[in-house]
Amino acid sequence: MAMKRRATILAALSAAATILILLWKPSVINNGIQQAGLYAAIAIPMGLVLGIVHIVNLAHGEFMMVAAYATYFACRATGMDPLLAVLPSAAVTAAFGWVVFKLTIKRALKAPELNQLILTFGIAIALTQAVNILFTSQTFKLQLDYVSASIDIGEDTFPVWSYVFVAFAILYAAGLKLFLTRTTIGKAALAVGQNPKGAAIVGIDVNRVYGLVFALALALVGAMGALFLTKQSIFPSVGSPYTMKSFCLVAVAGIGNIPGILGASLLLGISEQVLRGFRDTRAWADIVFFVLIIAVILGRSIKWRKS
Amino acid sequence: MNRNLARVVATLLGALAVVLPALAGAYPLQVARNVMLYMALAITWDMLLRSGQISFGIAGLFGLGAYASILGVIRAGMPAWASIPFAAAFSALAALLIGYLILRLRGMYFSIVTLALAEIFRIVIHNLHDFTGGPEGIVAPAGVIFGGSASGLYWLALVGLAVALGASIWFEKSKFHFALTAIRDNEIAASSSGVDIFRWLLATFVITSGIQGLLGGIFVQSYGFATPDSVFSADFTLLPLAMALLGGIHGTVGPIMGAVLLGVASEWLKLQMPYGHLVVYGIIIIIVILFMPRGLYGLARKMARPAEGRAE
Amino acid sequence: MRKALALLAIALIAIPAFAQTGGTIKIGGIWTLSDITGKQGSAAALLAVEEINKAGGVNGKMLELIIADDEGKADKAAAAVEKLATVDKVEAFIGGMASGAEVGKIPAYAKYNKVVVATGAASSAIVEKALGPSPGSDYYFHLHPWDYNQGASYAEGWDAIQKKYPSIKIKKIFLAYEEGAFGKSSWDATKLLFGSDKRYTVDGAPFKSALLGGGDYSAVLEAAKDFKPDLFLWAGYDADALPMLEQSKAIKFTPKIYLGAPPGWPIGFGSSKLSKNVMLYGMWSPSMNDTNPASKKFYDAYVKKYREEPATYFALLAYDAVMILADGIRVAGTTETAALVKALEATKYASPLGETITFKPSNIIKHQGITRQKILQWQNGFQEVLWPFEAATAAPVFPFPAWK
Repeated sequence: MAMKRRATILAALSAAATILILLWKPSVINNGIQQAGLYAAIAIPMGLVLGIVHIVNLAHGEFMMVAAYATYFACRATGMDPLLAVLPSAAVTAAFGWVVFKLTIKRALKAPELNQLILTFGIAIALTQAVNILFTSQTFKLQLDYVSASIDIGEDTFPVWSYVFVAFAILYAAGLKLFLTRTTIGKAALAVGQNPKGAAIVGIDVNRVYGLVFALALALVGAMGALFLTKQSIFPSVGSPYTMKSFCLVAVAGIGNIPGILGASLLLGISEQVLRGFRDTRAWADIVFFVLIIAVILGRSIKWRKS
Repeated sequence: MNRNLARVVATLLGALAVVLPALAGAYPLQVARNVMLYMALAITWDMLLRSGQISFGIAGLFGLGAYASILGVIRAGMPAWASIPFAAAFSALAALLIGYLILRLRGMYFSIVTLALAEIFRIVIHNLHDFTGGPEGIVAPAGVIFGGSASGLYWLALVGLAVALGASIWFEKSKFHFALTAIRDNEIAASSSGVDIFRWLLATFVITSGIQGLLGGIFVQSYGFATPDSVFSADFTLLPLAMALLGGIHGTVGPIMGAVLLGVASEWLKLQMPYGHLVVYGIIIIIVILFMPRGLYGLARKMARPAEGRAE
Repeated sequence: MRKALALLAIALIAIPAFAQTGGTIKIGGIWTLSDITGKQGSAAALLAVEEINKAGGVNGKMLELIIADDEGKADKAAAAVEKLATVDKVEAFIGGMASGAEVGKIPAYAKYNKVVVATGAASSAIVEKALGPSPGSDYYFHLHPWDYNQGASYAEGWDAIQKKYPSIKIKKIFLAYEEGAFGKSSWDATKLLFGSDKRYTVDGAPFKSALLGGGDYSAVLEAAKDFKPDLFLWAGYDADALPMLEQSKAIKFTPKIYLGAPPGWPIGFGSSKLSKNVMLYGMWSPSMNDTNPASKKFYDAYVKKYREEPATYFALLAYDAVMILADGIRVAGTTETAALVKALEATKYASPLGETITFKPSNIIKHQGITRQKILQWQNGFQEVLWPFEAATAAPVFPFPAWK
C-alpha cells in the first residue's frame, strides 16, 4: 500500500517536472528522449549478456563499431541505404559474435569470473587496432538527407530522426521480454541466467544457451551499428565510450532488469539535456550520469538492507 | 625446496632492481620506471581483490593523488618531495570518506560505483579551471623532481614499488590475510566467527588507495605536469587489472609477473613493429587468459607441483 | 608485401651509398603512429629524407630517420626519446602532435639538449610553459603555431577580409567548442582576441566531441541559434564535422558564416552536399598546388610514393621539419647544438604550406616558426584559400546558403 502510494507520488512529481521543462524549453524533452533512445538501444544487448551469460563484455561497443564499418563499406560499394542494411548487419554481426564466442569466451566460462572481463578487454583492443590498421584513424560518415528531418511547431523546429533509436530501444525491450517469457529457448535462457547449475541438472545445454544469447545480443548490436552510422561518424575508437555508458545503465537498472534500462536511459538523457540547457551548468552535464549511478545504487542498497 | 627457490629468485630480483641504474642506460631505466609504476598499481588492486571486492577506480585515486601533489606544490608552495606523501594522505582520506559510503556494496555494484567516482573526480578537476588548470592541464614551474636525473627518478619509482610490495607482503603475513580470505570465501561465516568485515575492508581500501595516490604523486612529479586526460586515463585502471589477472591474482607474485610480461611486451613489440603493435598486444592478452586461466604464476605453480595444482 | 620488397630494394641501394660517403646523420622522429597525423607525418618525413639522400645527402652524409611511437602518452613518449637518444644515438629530433604526449618528452629533451624541430603541440598552457624561457629552451624549434598565435591570426584575417569585401560584416561571433583542452584553449583565445575591444560580441558554449563519446550538439546549436551570430565557429574534431551540419540543418540554424576548425576533415567531406561554402581554419589544402609550386611538388611526390592524399597539414609540417633541419646542418656543418641552433635561427625556408618559415620569439620561447593559420572555404568540393590574400586561391562566397 505504502509502496503504491510512493510510486504514485513519484509518478506525479516526474509528470510535473516534465510539464515544467516542456513549458520552459520543449527542446530539452525532445532531445533528451531521443538521446535516451540511443543509450538504451545500445545498452539493452549488454544487459542481456550480463543478465544471462554473466559477463561484462568490454568489447560491446567495439562490436558495434565493427558492424558500423562493415555497413559503411557495404553501403559505399553498393549505394545501399544503411537502413536496408540493418537486418544483414544484424545477421553478420551475430555470426561474427558466435564465432568469437566459440573461439574465446566459451573457453573462459569455467575460469574465474574476472578472466572473461579481461578477455573481452583484449578482444576490444585487438578489434579497435585491427580496424585502425586497415582504415586509419580518419573518420567516415555517410551523408543522408533524412537525418536532418524535423517538425515545425509554431516558432520552434524539432529534430525527429533519432526517434528511430527510441523505436528500436522499445522494440528490443519488448521483444526480449516476449522472447524470455514466451519461447522455449527464451525460458531456458532465463533459467540458465538465474541458476546455471540448476538449469544444467534439468537437462538444459548451458553452453549452447550462452552461445545463442551472446549471438542474439550481437545481432541487436549489429542492427544498432547500421543505425548508428546514419547519424554519427565512425572511427576505430567510436565504440568504447558506449561500452562504459551501457555498463553503467545496466547497473542502474539492476542486472537482469531489461525494461529498467529504458527508464534509466530516460532519466539520464533528460537530466543531461536539462543541465546542458543552462549556461552555468553546461559543463557539468557529464557528471549527472555518474552522480545518478551512485545515488541509485546506494539508495537501492540501503533499501535492501532495511527489508 | 620451493620456498628456498622463491627466496633466491626474490633476492636476485631485488638485487637486480638495486644495481640496475649502475648497469643500464637511460632507456631501460625509463622502461623500468614505467613497468614498476604499473606493477605497483597492479599489486594494490590485487590487495583489495583478496577480499573479493573488484575496484574499477584505480585511475580515480591515482589521478586524485597526482593533482593533490602538483597543486600542493603550485598552490600551497610545498616542496616537490613533500607533495608525494601528501598525495598519499589525500587519496587515503578521500578513500576513508567514500569507503564509509560504498564498502557495503558488493560485486558488480561496488565496481561500478568506484568507476563512477573516478569519473566524478576527473570531471570536477576538469571543470575547476582556475584552481586546477582545467582541461589544458597544469605544469610545475620548477619542472621535474631531482632536476630530471635518470637515476633519481628511477629510485623514486622504486620507492613507490617498494611501498606497494611491502604492504602486500605485510598483508600476506598478517591478520589481513586471514580476514580478507575469510571475507572472500564466505562472508556470512566470516562475520559469524567474529570478523568485523566492514573495518577490514575499510582499512584495506584506505591503504591501497593511499598507495595509489602516492604513485600518482610520483608520476606527476616525474613528468612535471598533469592534465585530466593523462592522469585519469582508463589505462591506469585497465592495465593494472590486466597485469594482475595475466600474472595470477590473490598474491604478490602474480601481479609482478603480469606487469613484467605486459610492460616489456609492449615496449618490445613497438620496436619490432612501430605501426600496429597494439593489435598484437590485444592478442597476447587474449591468448594468455585462454591458455593460462590462473595466470603465469598459477601455471608456474601447477608445473612445479602437478598433483597439488590440480587439487587446488 | 610489395611495399616490403620496395623497402628492401631501397635498403640494398642505400647501403653502398652509405659506405661511399662515410657515415650517416641519424634523426629521431616521434609521433603517435596509430593516429592519421602520425602515420602520414612519419611518411612525409621519410619522403623528405629520401629526396635529400637522392640529391646527395647533407655535406656528403646520408640522413637516416629512425621512427618511434609515443602512443599519445607522456610516459611512452619519454621512453621514445630515451631510446632514440641512447640506443640509436640520434643527433636531432623531429615530431610531435598531441600536447599531452609532447610535454612528457620535454624533460628528456632538455637533458640531452639536442636540437628538436617540433611539428605539433599547440598548447601554450602546458607545452610552452614546460619548455620555459630562453636560453634553457633554445634547442626547441616549434613549427606549429601556439593556440594564441592561431587566435591572433584569425582576428587579423577577419579584419582583412571585412576590409577587402565590404559586403561581409561581422558583429556577433558564437564559438561552439569541444570541452577538452583543444576546444577550451580555442575559447580562451577567441574571447581574448575578439571580445576584448567592443567591435565584436562574443558568446560560446562547450559540447562533447563525438571523438570522446558525444555527438549530440542540440544544446549548443540551440544556444547559438538564439544568439543569432554572424559568424558561427566550431572547434572540435573531424568526427563532429558532418553530424554538426546535419543537426544544424535539422533545427534550421543558418548563420551567415559557418566555420569549422577541426585539425582534419572526414574522408569525402567535400563530396557531401552540406559542405557547400562551409569555411574552415587550416594551414594547407591541395588547391594550393595551382598557385604554389612547392606545394605541388610535395603533393605529387607524396601521392606517387604512398598512393594516398596527405589528409592533414601535419604531413607537410613533418616534411618541412626534415628539410629545415637538413638546411641547418648544411649551413652549420655539424649537428652540435650551439652551432646548429645558430644556423637554424637564420632559417628562411619556402614551405609548401605557402609561406616562408623563419624563427622568432613567441610569448615564452625564442624559436617559434609559423604563427599564421589560413582561412579557407569549401567550394565545389575543394578547400580554397581565402586569406592570407597572397596565398588565396578563391574569393569568399557569402553568405552561407540557407538549407534547402
